Amino acid sequence: MPAPIQSPLERRYARLGLLLIAPTVLIFCAVIIYPLVSAIYLSLFRVFTPTLESSWVGLSNYRELLASGVFWKALWNTLIWTAGTLTLQIVLGIGMALVLHQNIWFRSLARSLILFPYFISTVVAVLVWKWVFNDLYGILNHLLMRGGIIDMPIDYLGSMPNAMISVILVGAWKYFPFVVIAVLARLQTIPEPLYEAARIDGAGPIARFFDVTLPQLRDVLVVIIMLRAIWDFKEFDLIWLLTGGGPSSSTETLPIVVYRQAFALNQMGMAAAWAVSMMAILLVFMIVYIRRTREKETA
Amino acid sequence: MANVDFRAVTKSFGAFTALHGLDLSIKSGEFVALLGPSGCGKTTTLRMLAGLEFPTTGDIIIGDRRVNDLAPGERDIAMVFQSYALYPHMTVAENMAYPLKKRGVPKADRGPMVAKTAEMLHLTALLDRKPKQLSGGQQQRVALGRALIRDPKVFLLDEPLSNLDAKLRSQLRAELIELHRRLGRTMVYVTHDQLEAMTMADRIAIMEGGNLQQFAPPAEVYARPANRFVAGFIGTPGMTLIDGALVQDQGRWLFEGDGLRLDVPALVAGASAGPAAFGIRPEDVHIGRGDLQGEIVLTEATGHETIVTVALSAAVRVVARVPGTPSLRIGERVPVGLDAACAHIFAAGPHGVRLNHPSGAAGADETDNIAAPLRVASKGVVS
Amino acid sequence: MMRKFLGPVVLNVFAWTTILAVAFPLFWMLVTSVKPQSELFRRPPTMLPESWTFEHYWHLLSQTNFLVYFRNSVMLSTVTTLLVVTVATLGAYSLVRFRYRGRESLAFMVLFTYLLPSVVLIIPLYLMLVSMGLSNTLFSLVIAYTTFALPYALWLMRSFMAGVPDDLEYAAMVDGASRMGAFVDVILPQLLPGIISTALFTFILSWNEYLYALVLVNSDEARPLTTGVMNMLISSFNIEWSLLMAASVMMSVPLIIVFAFLQSYLTRGFGAGAVKG
Repeated sequence: MPAPIQSPLERRYARLGLLLIAPTVLIFCAVIIYPLVSAIYLSLFRVFTPTLESSWVGLSNYRELLASGVFWKALWNTLIWTAGTLTLQIVLGIGMALVLHQNIWFRSLARSLILFPYFISTVVAVLVWKWVFNDLYGILNHLLMRGGIIDMPIDYLGSMPNAMISVILVGAWKYFPFVVIAVLARLQTIPEPLYEAARIDGAGPIARFFDVTLPQLRDVLVVIIMLRAIWDFKEFDLIWLLTGGGPSSSTETLPIVVYRQAFALNQMGMAAAWAVSMMAILLVFMIVYIRRTREKETA
Repeated sequence: MANVDFRAVTKSFGAFTALHGLDLSIKSGEFVALLGPSGCGKTTTLRMLAGLEFPTTGDIIIGDRRVNDLAPGERDIAMVFQSYALYPHMTVAENMAYPLKKRGVPKADRGPMVAKTAEMLHLTALLDRKPKQLSGGQQQRVALGRALIRDPKVFLLDEPLSNLDAKLRSQLRAELIELHRRLGRTMVYVTHDQLEAMTMADRIAIMEGGNLQQFAPPAEVYARPANRFVAGFIGTPGMTLIDGALVQDQGRWLFEGDGLRLDVPALVAGASAGPAAFGIRPEDVHIGRGDLQGEIVLTEATGHETIVTVALSAAVRVVARVPGTPSLRIGERVPVGLDAACAHIFAAGPHGVRLNHPSGAAGADETDNIAAPLRVASKGVVS
Repeated sequence: MMRKFLGPVVLNVFAWTTILAVAFPLFWMLVTSVKPQSELFRRPPTMLPESWTFEHYWHLLSQTNFLVYFRNSVMLSTVTTLLVVTVATLGAYSLVRFRYRGRESLAFMVLFTYLLPSVVLIIPLYLMLVSMGLSNTLFSLVIAYTTFALPYALWLMRSFMAGVPDDLEYAAMVDGASRMGAFVDVILPQLLPGIISTALFTFILSWNEYLYALVLVNSDEARPLTTGVMNMLISSFNIEWSLLMAASVMMSVPLIIVFAFLQSYLTRGFGAGAVKG
């Protein structure tokens, strides 16, 4: 709690502070808080999108949603996608960060190349990968067949489990650079004497990684994992553009269902109920992350 | 030139109180050091004077104006920060001209003023450089220049020397003393270094735990510490303090503790028997003569003197300052004398007040007379 | 002796094989975009084009709506960035350097909204913007993009602002500046790299946004690149991969520029917002 404000000078400053934050607060209220509250409100109605005709249904949207198998299937898909792509991002990210931390040739060029997928538009990433995955003329099938790994062209996006695996792989490709940069930044701050000491104690490269590097990375990894888990969980663009949720809703994650309910099935109220349920699940991660951040700031 | 008054100033940060009712009157032209361990409230005091923190209650007066409600820029003060706080994107000249610009000094007048101040601080050759291209000592001078370029009523200095190495520090200490003498401006100087406070200040305000412990000239703070905290804080090596009790024996006052039984001189009126502490400075402990026996525990020779730690009993160790490098062996038993006339007696507790007059109590009212020659001597040591 | 020499070689070969594999799809995008149509479907495919052509780029710029989309995206991202960075800079200054009731809760709210999924906001936002008669306008997208860009920018700017020493502001105030004067004279110049970094991130984020554009705009006049190019894929009778790859390359041009000249600002942004937070 701030101390009671007394001096006119202090009051003047506080007023200026409020004035400076006012645009932020106004915008937040208009485009975030108000929509957020109305999303919850909307979820208690049945709304037909084209006419916006609505009727109060109370919690029945939620009852219907939780009773339907679709919700649990979509939640399951979301968890598989999140766990799969997150694991790959972390493993690839740490590995690549360790490599880039070494004194390799053209290091800054290498860093740019690795960083690029993270910053390109998901639309571009999806277009490129769709072309690479193309069953008839795609380069991937061609290379795999010439290498003798497969005999027949693979349908990467149109069948299961290929579609889920492909989505997870593309997600890992697009987002692992985030892990690389974050880990790399931390690696550069690990004091060299720690490695010297481990070397003197006879630790080999692998022991040094587990005894020195990994414990030092722990904090930053926890933050990265939480952030990426939240972001992957709510990912829409990548999956929607790659598979549209298919084949036959087998890669349909929660955000995709929300979109479909609202704008394809024209049931805004139901869609809002989906969105709110999804947010409730995400809230668990968010609260853990926020608490951690606050602790760190006050410490 | 102006006096500075703190009147019953408190400062709370939420539940934590950083300053408990500070009363402090600084005379016009005086050089006052705020001295204390970290967290004592000295920096908060300075920042409130600057207008960067706001007192919770109480008044702050500069000259004859209550400044509580004035912005820092309206208080006619200048400040040197511990971090120097030089504007990194401005050159040295621009840094020094900034306060002039903000006070509406015409551009044509700023140049000569910058040149004059730069010359005084030997910065003329550096005027076009950016702060990053300067050494620590040079940055410190620029910060000083930025404060000196105007003619403010009060100079505030927040540990300005603490980021410099020892040699530079003693050099700049001498320059600051000289500067103060020449300008005759009121200066408030925050430091945790007692050497700086002792050598530079006219008076020292010793603070601890948000309370003012003593406000007096350096010599008096040394010779007549007002309470046990000040006694322990001022002086290196520190005063030996022994816990025990005051007892009365056939009309004589004695201090008893840990097997010691010592005569106590010149108690203040109203002192009574009970728990107390006995303090003695290293120079008042004599090795080789005296009626006590002790065993040498440690000797630290610095060349012109030796600091000797002697165990009088299992629990009591006293520190003595012996000139030169006498041949003393660890473990040797020697006679030890404690100069009772110079002893300091404090009431029990970490802030126990002083219970006796020191050094035969030449006179509480004449401390300034004693202080003057002592101060000159101590300044002589450093410069 | 041999090991000392071989070690780095093995490491480099391994490292660069992986890096090139990661970068391969982007390389393939470039190659495809300059291959003539006849070479595109040849089997086996040619790794480097036998003959180069820019016909797809020409086709893209002259016979499709690409330039309209591009212009829309530039305007949209620029306006969003200017708005968001201005508001966020002032807001961050307030959050970091001022004391008033509710400041802590506000900081908490910024972090909360930073993590909030777009799909939760999109339905009410859609209803709101439609009822205001703003659907199918670039302005509606600016409003929508603010929902994710402002929390993001605030979070970054807060971190950058915390990196500017308090003493600089104090010194300026003691030297006679007002608070806003100190902000302009001293804090803003120190904050500039942070502002550039935040602006770049905001711009890229807006440039790449897809979902809001998909929902809020369905006329070609207001369509940005992301939905516009996707539309070219869906609406054409047979998919012209070369054209799409050329579009992808063109769409990445601003990014390539940023990468070439301003990459250090991107890395700085990572350090400030994402990871430290």
